Amino acid sequence: MHVLIINGSPRVKKFSNTDKIIARFAEGFCENGNTVDVFEVSDRKQWDDIRAAFAVNKDIIIALPLYVECIPGLLLEFLETVDPKNDGTKLSFILQSGFAEGAQLRCGEAYLEKLAGYLGCEYGGTLVKGDNFSIRLTESEDQDRQTVPYRQMGVVFAGKGSFDDEECRKFTGPEEFPLMVRLLIGFVFRTLAKKNFTKASQAWGCDKPLDYRPYGQEN
Amino acid sequence: MILIVNTTTDTSITAEIRELNKDVEIIEAGAMKISNCIGCNYCWLKTPGVCSIHDDYEQILKKIIVADQLWVISDTALGFIDHKGKNIFDRIMPVVTMNLKFKGKQMRHIMRYDKRTDVGIIYTGDADREYLERWNSRAALNFDSNSLGVFPVSEIKEAVSCMY
Repeated sequence: MHVLIINGSPRVKKFSNTDKIIARFAEGFCENGNTVDVFEVSDRKQWDDIRAAFAVNKDIIIALPLYVECIPGLLLEFLETVDPKNDGTKLSFILQSGFAEGAQLRCGEAYLEKLAGYLGCEYGGTLVKGDNFSIRLTESEDQDRQTVPYRQMGVVFAGKGSFDDEECRKFTGPEEFPLMVRLLIGFVFRTLAKKNFTKASQAWGCDKPLDYRPYGQEN
Repeated sequence: MILIVNTTTDTSITAEIRELNKDVEIIEAGAMKISNCIGCNYCWLKTPGVCSIHDDYEQILKKIIVADQLWVISDTALGFIDHKGKNIFDRIMPVVTMNLKFKGKQMRHIMRYDKRTDVGIIYTGDADREYLERWNSRAALNFDSNSLGVFPVSEIKEAVSCMY
């Protein structure tokens, strides 16, 4: 089986969380001799090649980060230029986000199911998972902890040809956190997470507080 | 202040709104240079509140943070607002901070400013209105505000009746 994977993230490949996810997913998918071609929408120079690949491939996955509850503007701009197919192509999606709960991604997922139809493709389901914000901020084992689970999803996709699978649905994790967990995570947000974000910010050369108001306090 | 950002090149829509309601601030963004968000996270971590892309969006952002209402006028594609309309929403990330909290049962970013800006959409062409309603209600969570609704241009009077 050969799958075309389009990285729909607008972030450059080097820093793309979606790219790291695709790499792990492809490891699992390619275990038994399957093959992938991967393109990046963030690189406009590839757009002609992606359109050509989209036209001839019958199994396609678009992997993307959730941007304001739906697909990123740049991916939308690209897809506006793609000719719908109507040749039985199966289009599946890997939808990932920073927010951790499954419920955060459902509105975006609902659009992707419709999008497959607009593009004249059969819908092969969406692999939904959040809590991926810090992939770019981490390295080695810390990054692996977030990305390696996608390898198994590649194995499942290779066997099933879609994400319409119980194991994929479970992969999402909790739809929402129970109250006690929210209180605990809320505490972490106010303490450790805040400290870590401030540290990351300083490492990026920032000398302002994270809640700085550059355009004044006028409101 | 009621802010209207017209991402289409059809200025007759904004002319009609102006005729019905003089008390609106209109930005004709159809020919403006407004990039997509590139997800660099600079507005959260490197230059808090400031977008790394210095294009025509900057003036829009400065208005949004003092507006009571934001209306985006957008063309449509693939059943949704088109990329020019979506980019207006994707680029609002500087209005929230990196810090997180739970709002109700779900995680949200802590807002950078005190103002709460409700959001509405006016669209041309064909769209899945029911989905757009759902999406705009979710999009409003990013402003810690409420949806003002989603209206095709044929219902512009209904949209304007919400502008107060």
